[in-house]
Amino acid sequence: MSHLIQASDVIILAYFLALNTIYALLLVLSIPEIWEQTRLAEDEDFQRLMQSDALPPITILVPAYNESATIEASVTAILTLEYRTFEVVVVNDGSKDDTLERLRHAFDLYEVPRTYPETISTQALRGVYRSRTRTRLLVIDKENGGKADSLNAAINASRFPLVIAADADTLIEPDALLRLTRPFLLGRRIAAVGGTVRVANSCTVQDGRVTDARVPRRFLPGIQVVEYLRAFLFGRLGWNRLGGSLVISGAFGLFRKEYLIAIGGYHTTSVVEDLDLVVRLHRHLRREKVRYEIPFIPDPVAWTEVPETGLVLGRQRERWHRGLIAAMWEYKGMLFNPRYGRVGLLAVPFYTLGEMLAPVVEVLGYVITGLGAAFGVINMSFALLFVLVAWGYGMLLSLWAVVLEEVSFRRYRRPGDLARLLLYAVLETLGYRQRTVWWRLRAFFTLRTQRRVWGEMTRKGFATS
Amino acid sequence: MTSRQFLLIVAIAQGMLFVALVILIILNRWIRLRRRAKVNPRQIELDAVMQRWALGQASQDEVLRALARLPVPIAIDALVTWSARVASERWQELSRGLESQWWARAVRANSRSARWWKRLDCARFLSVAATPRDIGRVRQLLRDPHPAVELAAATTLERVDSPVLVAAALDQLPFLGPTVQAYYASVLKRARPAVLRHLQHLFRRQGDPRLPRIVEFAGRLEEPVLREPFTTLATHPEAEVRTQVAHALGKFPHAESVAALGFLVQDEAWPVRAQAARSLGMIADPSTLPALREALRDTEWWVRLRAALALTRFGAGGRNALLEAEVGPHAEARDMAGLVLGLSLQALSEYAA
Repeated sequence: MSHLIQASDVIILAYFLALNTIYALLLVLSIPEIWEQTRLAEDEDFQRLMQSDALPPITILVPAYNESATIEASVTAILTLEYRTFEVVVVNDGSKDDTLERLRHAFDLYEVPRTYPETISTQALRGVYRSRTRTRLLVIDKENGGKADSLNAAINASRFPLVIAADADTLIEPDALLRLTRPFLLGRRIAAVGGTVRVANSCTVQDGRVTDARVPRRFLPGIQVVEYLRAFLFGRLGWNRLGGSLVISGAFGLFRKEYLIAIGGYHTTSVVEDLDLVVRLHRHLRREKVRYEIPFIPDPVAWTEVPETGLVLGRQRERWHRGLIAAMWEYKGMLFNPRYGRVGLLAVPFYTLGEMLAPVVEVLGYVITGLGAAFGVINMSFALLFVLVAWGYGMLLSLWAVVLEEVSFRRYRRPGDLARLLLYAVLETLGYRQRTVWWRLRAFFTLRTQRRVWGEMTRKGFATS
Repeated sequence: MTSRQFLLIVAIAQGMLFVALVILIILNRWIRLRRRAKVNPRQIELDAVMQRWALGQASQDEVLRALARLPVPIAIDALVTWSARVASERWQELSRGLESQWWARAVRANSRSARWWKRLDCARFLSVAATPRDIGRVRQLLRDPHPAVELAAATTLERVDSPVLVAAALDQLPFLGPTVQAYYASVLKRARPAVLRHLQHLFRRQGDPRLPRIVEFAGRLEEPVLREPFTTLATHPEAEVRTQVAHALGKFPHAESVAALGFLVQDEAWPVRAQAARSLGMIADPSTLPALREALRDTEWWVRLRAALALTRFGAGGRNALLEAEVGPHAEARDMAGLVLGLSLQALSEYAA
């Protein structure tokens, strides 16, 4: 027994070292990346670019299901983005409330015939509408088929070569589209671009725009600010230098439409459609030997409301992890497969062995340490020291994310907000992290029974000034 | 060393790093605040001096002095902002005045820097303050490995009239991504005479793999002098060249354009046929109605859509052709005619865009 515990301990220790080495690598790689991105973001002469007809036209895809309360404000905010040529395709996904009526009334809609082929098959369309007041707006009414199905219907209807999927409850900053197109203007072979998603809870929102960025005082949404900073500012930036991230947030990502059509659009069976889409995109482009990049750029920002209660947050994290497990299982052929280059050799193994298995290994670590202490196999003070070092490392990573935010974009100007960020960076490891481990672990048990279940997400709505 | 000692050292290092990062965050805020307090009044002063200079109430020396007091990147930002607001002759005087400034000389010297951000500063500066003496530098920056530098250097073409730079930019054009090409096209429009001369030269290279991109760019210029070379290229063996030609000819209502488009609307490649149908609609010559009626029965959906939309631009003749197709024997033509006849005027204009 003692040998088994000791061997398990060594394996867990090796796993911990390997995983944290990759995190350290991402941390180091994020430094030159954020330096370059900040320089480029600051040096751009946006007025000149706005006047240029070079910018590629964009279609914004907005799936809406039972969004009656917010749909008018959301669509109005999207329609007033600063960009030269874009259209907005709103898809009413068989809402049970009066979402379509709201849209019809607010934008003076009139029915038009469908003038495009069904490139990706979707649920039946009930009608296509244009607006008399907003020529950029197209509204599609269809039978309920889920978010992915709505996005596919919007892709079919889109006229432009670039598409961006935006949630109806996401606030896109006015110049975000312009910033998102920067990699295209820099002549790179872009298949998709991801921007930053930030936490809108406690921020002041005016006319669909965040006018005052704040760090929430409430613990759960506050700690998610640090989590989002860490995920976007150092995780994804670091992956830019390692062959591209596997995730572009579904709430805010720009895609080349021809590639989306080539892979058959969004999978309607996935509960984390954004991860599934990007992995398939990598797989398709690598198989077809297309030269491409899927970069993340940090300065275009969209704001989203995050869960404020443990129950809702738990459901969300469980769903995310269920989606991760399902995607990694489905695309297991890419794991350590040199055919897929750095994506197959680095990104997929990291997401499978690191992100996916991390909660299992962490819980195993706690259990075995407990057992080892009980059987007297492990030196208790050594085990405690080890746990302290592991937690300290987690704190340092979160603190590093705050440093990156401070030296680059500095959205949170008030000293009080900075103090809260620092406090949450420290507190995250003590209790909160263990709760997320539990939520993610639950996904392994619910994977078979609830594979396609989203779980109810309750939102408070944005506080407006 | 035991593993316990190793962990202790790691824990102590973590603690020190933690404290260092917190100090870094606080210092960063403090330094930024101090710098802002120092630079902001100088920026305000420069804006005031620039405004008076633009109105002829301040001398150029005052502007140069105010610029020299600012950190270089901020001075360049200010120049970029003000360059769009001041008359061209007056701005050229300032550009000449800047040649003698020490900081401007240092920025110019950065054109050969190993650091891309220094070269970017130089390219941005030259994009608004280049003089004929900078042509060599700009030419070099146009071939810079960093795309941001290259793009900033291309902006210089809006201000400096130089056949050498135009030729360099046009040679670069086919190798650029579509968005960058479009940007180049927008800045090259200013230097039209030199561009046209060089384009006519490039059009003669029939076997050049860059030809589709060159033709695409030339189409954007909408220059009548280029109509004849376009019609000559209508029989080019490469489908992409013919597609671009079909697209461009719609902007030149001329008998020769119509003849070439009548030929292209029967092309074997559907993108060529679709573009030709669209262009025939833009010219709307009644003699091409039969060709568009035929295109309405094309096997490809997009060609049928383009033909039907083109017919709506022919007035009564085109509408009658659509009404006939709507009750005609060809099922796909019938569907397309029905679909387009059901569109509102606004929807039609949006489709034509």
